[in-house]
Amino acid sequence: MTKIPVWLDCDPGVDDAMALALLLKCPEYQLMGVSAVAGNVEEEKTFSNARNLMHFFGGTAPVYPGAKKPLFREPRTAYFVHGENGLGNVTLPESPQKVQTLPAPDAIYEAAKAADGELVLIAIGPLTNVALALMKHGSLGKLIKQIVLMGGSASYGNATPAAEANIFCDPEAASLVFQSGIPIVMCGLDMTLKAIMSPRELDAMAALNPTARFLRDAAQHGLAYSKAHGFDGMALHDPTAVLYPLYPQLFSGEEAGVAVETKGSVTYGKTVTDLYSDKQFPFKNALVMLDVNREGLIAVVMDILNRY
Amino acid sequence: MMKPIPIILDGDPGHDDAIAWVLAKSSPLLDIRAVTSVCGNQTIEKTTYNALRICTLIGCRAPLGVGRPRPLVAQPIIAPTVHGKSGLDGPVLPEPAFEPCGLDAPALMEKVIEESDEPVTLVPTGPLTNVAALLLNRPDLKPRIARISLMGGGIAYGNWTPAAEFNILVDPEAAKVVFESGIPLTMAGLDVTEKALVFPEDFERVRAVGNRVAQVVADWLEFFYGFHRSLGYPGAPVHDAVAVAALIRPEILTTKDLYVAIETEGDYCKGTTVGDMYGVTGKAPNATCILDIDRKAFVDLLVEAVKQYD
Repeated sequence: MTKIPVWLDCDPGVDDAMALALLLKCPEYQLMGVSAVAGNVEEEKTFSNARNLMHFFGGTAPVYPGAKKPLFREPRTAYFVHGENGLGNVTLPESPQKVQTLPAPDAIYEAAKAADGELVLIAIGPLTNVALALMKHGSLGKLIKQIVLMGGSASYGNATPAAEANIFCDPEAASLVFQSGIPIVMCGLDMTLKAIMSPRELDAMAALNPTARFLRDAAQHGLAYSKAHGFDGMALHDPTAVLYPLYPQLFSGEEAGVAVETKGSVTYGKTVTDLYSDKQFPFKNALVMLDVNREGLIAVVMDILNRY
Repeated sequence: MMKPIPIILDGDPGHDDAIAWVLAKSSPLLDIRAVTSVCGNQTIEKTTYNALRICTLIGCRAPLGVGRPRPLVAQPIIAPTVHGKSGLDGPVLPEPAFEPCGLDAPALMEKVIEESDEPVTLVPTGPLTNVAALLLNRPDLKPRIARISLMGGGIAYGNWTPAAEFNILVDPEAAKVVFESGIPLTMAGLDVTEKALVFPEDFERVRAVGNRVAQVVADWLEFFYGFHRSLGYPGAPVHDAVAVAALIRPEILTTKDLYVAIETEGDYCKGTTVGDMYGVTGKAPNATCILDIDRKAFVDLLVEAVKQYD
């Protein structure tokens, strides 16, 4: 079986942790590397979290440091969901693996060259690293087969009423990526807020093994916040982006033009998605996910985590 | 019998404005105190002429005030592709049997509100230029306005651009004034109005009522249906009529109170009604947003409405 060469750019992050845990137990994937970016918490923390998660999950792929701040804006964190340490304030042992120093944009480029045009880039944090890589390495766009990203929304936002958190964090980077010409799958809130794992399902997951129990425990911190916003459980935002390439039948979406607003005073960070208008955008640059078979998704998550 | 609600119809007719006005005039629950024209679907000359012809057709002789020829700040946009060159293409209408009253739209609104014993409800179904002009001139009259039941915006998406609905896009600054006014707002946006669809069997029901108004309304719906089918819509969305339905048949609607901000800038989002669907701002709702409608009951309402005419 030819494995799919894949890169994970992330900002762990509670749901990033689950995304990585799942990815490492999908034998269809060959994980070329992981890069950390400032997002849910500061980059120092996302980098060490990514390293420690890799070790904790038994993975061996190299983890690279990335952007410490968005391209033009100040960093903005989400402690209220992810806890001060980014992992729901659950601590992990320090990874003994070698500390990589190659910056994420270069590491991604090297991996893309090695994968010879087949690299699938899964980006589940702000798109700063991806944008930096694309602007530094002009040929990278043609080397990446597909970007599957968690971010954006065709309708409502969660960071602001208009904008989803990852895109809101670095709208200019997102704009660059959406204009890159690389095929994009957008796992946005329209779909991910339907991918809710209930507290009961989280408990059932925790019973599987220590890895799954860690993922449940890390998620506890964010559950109250979710509940206050009308969602009883954990939205599997980032895991959907990892699972989409292997389980596309669980998801449904539409090809659409997506442009990122970077200037509006109350709308910056909005992924303006042309699904419904009188077709104003002369392009279609993303497959926008709109729905998910929730029960099917939970079953897949349980099945994969059971491999630990 | 309940005392009818005093209202002012403010629109840019427009097929769906016209049908909204037919609905309003037919209802014993509403008392039309004035009609005002605004530029939007067509130029102010054309929307005013259309407003006079509609009022003549439906027997509405409330004073009619003419709006300004352009939005407050933004450049004018018109929609001849949607409503035709006249702004109300389709059936032949009677020529106006009366003239505008001589007061401009905001001045007429002001007079009606001041003279009314009870607070007046505004029903804007075009850009919000006139309403904003009124509120900016006479903020002291806000308590005398019971509610603004408007057609405009879309919490989830736009129509004229991917992010913005036509009425709000045409005059975003005016919309901002209205949404920040503190006056109770009912927003019939695209979220509901694109579900307020009429199909051929529906407009044939209207036509079968048989009177003059029924014939004209059926022809308007047929024209509107044809245009929207060409865009890929399943039926004709009778947008503006939902703003009137909200006053006379609220039980057929599903609503959610939301904080709604108006974007007046941006590369892609000018004119967007940004609704805080997930409650992330902590700001109190300023609009009752209509999100769904019992379509069958809505069509029944239109059929009942045209039966009220001779």
